[in-house]
Amino acid sequence: MLQFSRFVFIRASLAIITLILVSFIVFTLMEMVPGDCAERYLAFKNSQGSVISLADIDAERIRLGLDQPYLKRWGLWIINAFQGEFGDSCIQRLNISQLLGQKFWLSLGLCLAALTLAYAIAIPVGILAATSKSATLNNSLRLVSYLGLALPNFLLALMIMLFSTMYFGNSLTGLFSKEFRDAPWSYERVMDFLAHAWLPIFILGWSATAFAIQTVRALMSDEIGKLYVTAAAARGVSGRRLMMRYPARHALSPIINSLGFDLNRIFNELPIVALILTLTEAGSLLIEALARSNDQQLAGAIIFMLTASIVTINFLTDIILALTDPRIRRSIVG
Amino acid sequence: MTEQAPTATVNQKSKEAYFTASQGQLIWQRFKKNKSALIGAWVLIFLILSGIFAPFLTPYDATVAGRDKDYMNGAPQIPQFCDDNGCSWRPFIYTTTRERSMATNFRWVSTVDDSLDGRRYVQFFVEGAEYRYFHIKANLPGEALDFEIPGLTFNTRLFGVDKGMIHIFGTDDLGKDIYSRTLTAINTSLAVGTIGVFIAFVLALLIGGVAGYYGGWIDSILQMLTDTVRTIPSIPLFMALAAFIPDVWSAEMRFFFISMVLGLIGWPTLARRIRTHLLTERNQEYVLAAQLCGATPGHVIRRHLLPSFTSYIIVDLVISFPYMVLSETALSFIGLGLKDPVNSLGVMLQNVTSADVLLNYQWYFIPVIFFIVLVLAFVFVGDGLRDAADPYSDAGK
Repeated sequence: MLQFSRFVFIRASLAIITLILVSFIVFTLMEMVPGDCAERYLAFKNSQGSVISLADIDAERIRLGLDQPYLKRWGLWIINAFQGEFGDSCIQRLNISQLLGQKFWLSLGLCLAALTLAYAIAIPVGILAATSKSATLNNSLRLVSYLGLALPNFLLALMIMLFSTMYFGNSLTGLFSKEFRDAPWSYERVMDFLAHAWLPIFILGWSATAFAIQTVRALMSDEIGKLYVTAAAARGVSGRRLMMRYPARHALSPIINSLGFDLNRIFNELPIVALILTLTEAGSLLIEALARSNDQQLAGAIIFMLTASIVTINFLTDIILALTDPRIRRSIVG
Repeated sequence: MTEQAPTATVNQKSKEAYFTASQGQLIWQRFKKNKSALIGAWVLIFLILSGIFAPFLTPYDATVAGRDKDYMNGAPQIPQFCDDNGCSWRPFIYTTTRERSMATNFRWVSTVDDSLDGRRYVQFFVEGAEYRYFHIKANLPGEALDFEIPGLTFNTRLFGVDKGMIHIFGTDDLGKDIYSRTLTAINTSLAVGTIGVFIAFVLALLIGGVAGYYGGWIDSILQMLTDTVRTIPSIPLFMALAAFIPDVWSAEMRFFFISMVLGLIGWPTLARRIRTHLLTERNQEYVLAAQLCGATPGHVIRRHLLPSFTSYIIVDLVISFPYMVLSETALSFIGLGLKDPVNSLGVMLQNVTSADVLLNYQWYFIPVIFFIVLVLAFVFVGDGLRDAADPYSDAGK
């Protein structure tokens, strides 16, 4: 037990070190964007008709603490970031945690749902593909998973939207119907959300599924050829019981291990899918922050939170692996 | 007895050929057996060549300079040999005229002239707009640093028509030829991919090489760095980096910056693989022997370790190529990557997103087909190469 808590402690501190490194990269990037918050804010005021002087910009800099040295500001930023506090957005003049708030959790939920969908399909299909000798099945699965990579998901989203507009007269965009957009959570709102959320989840899960099938199939076919499977078959275990109890359990560990990076891949696609399906609730805020307004505070906060959730998933999978896989458990406990 | 002797020699010879074959020859032998990969390779070569020779193969300039103001949002024109007015040995298309007058209620109306006079005959090796190869023009800060290499100038195009213009894939809303744009876009996207892969490769080789060769604490620190870069979702990071591009930058600057960004973020996967390989390889006897003979670390890495896995590196590069192209597409698609007047596959894909295009101008989708085929070809070739480069892949046979 002591060794196990030591293991958890080491993993947790590694995760935090990674996060600090990430925050340094993100913060440096934010700093490199030409122009700072003070200039941007006053430029906005200028466009509203007030006359702005250089002294005003300097005063605004001092007010925002931008005159402090770089490392000190990074330290402040990271300490606040760990408390979920990212300061104010440069352009919108709103508190970022309020601005993101629910939207971030919705996006994360969408991505996790897509990940779950991907593996719910991929594990049975991948095992089937690895065990079946049928060349047709294998080749068609291969083609589907290649298409998952080559057919960009925004194209898929567009086509589904087009068909739905033509045949059902509903464009399937957004995450909520108009009347529920700002309503408090209720049973109806949840139902409304689910009625809209299946499309982004499906599209986000599309290439993830293709990828996951490939992985599961490769891992399974590696394991099936091994001697312990033959030995178990010789002892009389057969059929589904053989697959589930022996090779599938071995193949599962690397899959759990790579969940964090799968989530990473899905995050990559979120902004694009969000743009097409006009999910203002989710990733398109990032596009907004970067492309339209160059809002470095907001963009930095979003990237940091995305990375933080990946690091958290990686940490959790490490712990889960240590709990479920006896080989890893033994290497920790010694 | 007399008949067996030659067979034995042939057997002996083929065995000898097998055992003395270089790594490259073995990979090629295995690759040839894989039908889908071979087809993918041919398609890929065809696409790459058509990208490189795009200016010659396309009839018009892919930018606004080559636009056809009489045929905007025009459907593809398929050359034909016969119609009601009889056949011709030369394929032809019809002339379309656009008119706006009192008679048409002041709206643009296109009419197709399918009489004999309206025929435009397809010709080959026609003189067209000029294009240049190896033309480099640098505009560095400071007068003295500006230089220009004229390169080679040509004006022969593969095909054209005797009067007016021909658009076999149709035109877009400005009247730009979609065929010319598509081939140019393949060229651009491949160039972005190549530069990106090259930068990623150099970084991966350096970081992975140092980490793998030295091991120990250097390895731990570099691994930490690699893992950190790997955890940051790359497209959002691309977006953050691409947002730095000032609006005043020229299309070429943008192009190089985007390629650089792709390379700067794409290295961790390859670096990790190089490191793992080096870690196992550096404890082999032949490395120890070289070290005992007094070889420097650089010499050992260059002369002994790198050749041991060149084939794997090549395979990895081919596999990472479609990801570069996909990333470029995604970036351009959001509007943060390349922009008009540069033609890239991402820019072309961005054009198909409006409902107007989906319903009325389906020929905008032709570049999408090229894009999907290009990525698929890369994936098939990459997979085939990976299987072929794996020395254990046919051990069971």
